[in-house]
Amino acid sequence: MSSQSSSSAVKPADYVYFERTTAGFSEDALPRSKAAQLKLEHYYKVAVEAAIERNQRRVEVERKLAADMTMPDERKQRQLLSLGKKEGSFLRLKRTKMGLNDFRTVKVIGKGAFGEVRVVQKADTGKIYAMKTLKKEEMLKKDQLAHVRAERDVLAESNSPWVVQLYYSFQDPTYLYLIMEFLAGGDLMTMLIKYDTFSEDVTRFYIAECVLAIEAVHNLGFIHRDIKPDNILIDKDGHIKLSDFGLSTGFHKQHDSSYYQRLLDSASGVASPTSAAQSARNSVMVNAIHLTMSSKDQIATWKANRRKLAYSTVGTPDYIAPEIFLQKGYGNECDWWSLGAIMFECLVGYPPFCSETTHETYQKIINWHHYLVIPDDVHLSREAEDLIRRLITSTDRRMAVEQIKKHPFFYGVDWASIRNIEAPFIPRLRSITDTSYFPTDELDQVPDEPTGGDITGAHKELAFLGYTFKRFTLSSNAF
Amino acid sequence: SNGGSGGTKLLYLCSPFVDAALVTGNFKTIVMLPKYVDVMEWVACNVFDFYQNLNLFYGVISECCTQQSCPTMSAGPSLNYTWINTDRKHVQLPAPTYIDYVMTWVQNLLDDENTFPTKSGRDFPPSFPSTAKHVYRQLLRVFAHIYHAHYTQILHLRSEPHFNSLFAHFLAFGKEYELLDIKDIKGQPGATVGIGALWERWKETGILDSSTKS
Ligand SMILES: Nc1ncnc2c1ncn2[C@@H]1O[C@H](COP(=O)(O)OP(=O)(O)OP(=O)(O)O)[C@@H](O)[C@H]1O
Repeated sequence: MSSQSSSSAVKPADYVYFERTTAGFSEDALPRSKAAQLKLEHYYKVAVEAAIERNQRRVEVERKLAADMTMPDERKQRQLLSLGKKEGSFLRLKRTKMGLNDFRTVKVIGKGAFGEVRVVQKADTGKIYAMKTLKKEEMLKKDQLAHVRAERDVLAESNSPWVVQLYYSFQDPTYLYLIMEFLAGGDLMTMLIKYDTFSEDVTRFYIAECVLAIEAVHNLGFIHRDIKPDNILIDKDGHIKLSDFGLSTGFHKQHDSSYYQRLLDSASGVASPTSAAQSARNSVMVNAIHLTMSSKDQIATWKANRRKLAYSTVGTPDYIAPEIFLQKGYGNECDWWSLGAIMFECLVGYPPFCSETTHETYQKIINWHHYLVIPDDVHLSREAEDLIRRLITSTDRRMAVEQIKKHPFFYGVDWASIRNIEAPFIPRLRSITDTSYFPTDELDQVPDEPTGGDITGAHKELAFLGYTFKRFTLSSNAF
Repeated sequence: SNGGSGGTKLLYLCSPFVDAALVTGNFKTIVMLPKYVDVMEWVACNVFDFYQNLNLFYGVISECCTQQSCPTMSAGPSLNYTWINTDRKHVQLPAPTYIDYVMTWVQNLLDDENTFPTKSGRDFPPSFPSTAKHVYRQLLRVFAHIYHAHYTQILHLRSEPHFNSLFAHFLAFGKEYELLDIKDIKGQPGATVGIGALWERWKETGILDSSTKS
């Protein structure tokens, strides 16, 4: 009582209480505002660091010149001026706009839902990057929202060793371009296609690194929502990083409730236009013969289609948690479900709910307690199976990060140093532009050089006006 | 209501919001001209950053700044900024239109190699100081409108420490390089700028340096 009155006594006369609510805002205002806050925090952190470093550089030069008794004053003066020039051009670089012409394609290495990924070399510095192109028109069609981008940019600028760095982005009327660090080791999907399964030791390494990566994303205040083997990239030392995961198709689909409604309808037998048309036709309905595949065939089909699915705009729902489909809201637990599905795939060879069609996969995920089966011919340790079952489970029983780290499956993992230990597969790279870990021969019909935007389509710019107020910024410590 | 205006208490002048800050300490650290560096280079770089950062925050609340909520570019109980159109006439514009014009105009200047050169060896034009002042004045108006008309939204989004620091930095920098006209901060008798009082308050509390001339 007394403490309460004394605490109110120190409040200044102009003290007001303001009830905060986010009720009046659109769904994207909150992540966007969070993104703006993070960006500004980053900005000031870098601004102070830059001031300190500039000072150190200057003091160093001044000290050297002062110690030099033989150099004429006039030359000293010139050296100081040239230091100023150097610092000035550094400042200038921050304002420099980059464009397609500043980069040269080395090779096309990947294909995504909205464009391609290339290894590129910056013409003036010779540095190597990965460049992702995104077709604006496709993004508009798919209703990809700019705020997703802003949110992802912050993550990419976070300097976390677990997240692929985004250095720069620019746009022309047709495309958005993202310049990121190039991870030469390929991705986990490609690795799984190559090796089928991993041993438990190897799985422990990748899943443990994923735990830390997901934790890092969560600590930054974000939910990934689309963790899948395609988004887990391997660096030159064999350690993982989560890909920039901007504009992921999965994300879009997860927010498109009509898409799920359609899936639900088609699954529950609500007459679709085609079946109505069929019954109107004067034809005899037969009971279709259902050809059940043996699980081996099914897996083979699934594997054969896996990369195609990765390239398609539909994306794969294999790793998505059921609560996301159910549209009743979800928290960051959904990422731990995805990790469970990936761990299952690492050990079993295919994800737990894989099917021939996305509809079926979706049904199986909703009814996961019936369909989560570990095949008889696969032997898992008790710990591995237990961890899988504590990740692929209802949200209230799913483990949180602290429990996960203490799970017996991870016995012996040194969480603090795992990124520094030797990885189980270290890519053998012949040069900084080696792309042998990417299935480049499967990428036909992709032009070697990006064509660039057609300038005539200026009217399309309007639809991207949202970008006016979130124009991509140059991460100040890049280049 | 979009708050801020009309009421007896201006929220941005009240504790604890008026003192909320992301950045503490003396702005001098990041405002001071790095020794031996060309002042125009330094001003250009900072104007660029202020534009980007303001853009970021306006982008968040732009959904609340509509033709209906803000039919004029207001910045005080009896102050509405006018835009000078191509016929050199002063016209009233809805705030979102006004701000869109400002931001597009500034962006075009920043993109113009003749105004804000980026290529090495290229110098700033003699008109650069006056251009920078113009830009600064318009950006100040955007700040002034947000404080006047959208501060409650800033509060709802818990962004007041960030937005305050950005604005305080903007003022500190503008003062140091004489990019700000005191008139623009305080307004005219009968058409005071809301944020004029904020400036005074921040000088009193030391968030802004009060020692230099005003
Ligand atoms: N920074 C990078 N370094 C190396 N390879 C990359 C990089 N980014 C992407 N790739 C390769 O390109 C492929 C496709 O990239 P990504 O998954 O980002 O595109 P996408 O399918 O459009 O993405 P999204 O997950 O947003 O739908 C990846 O699976 C990976 O093989």
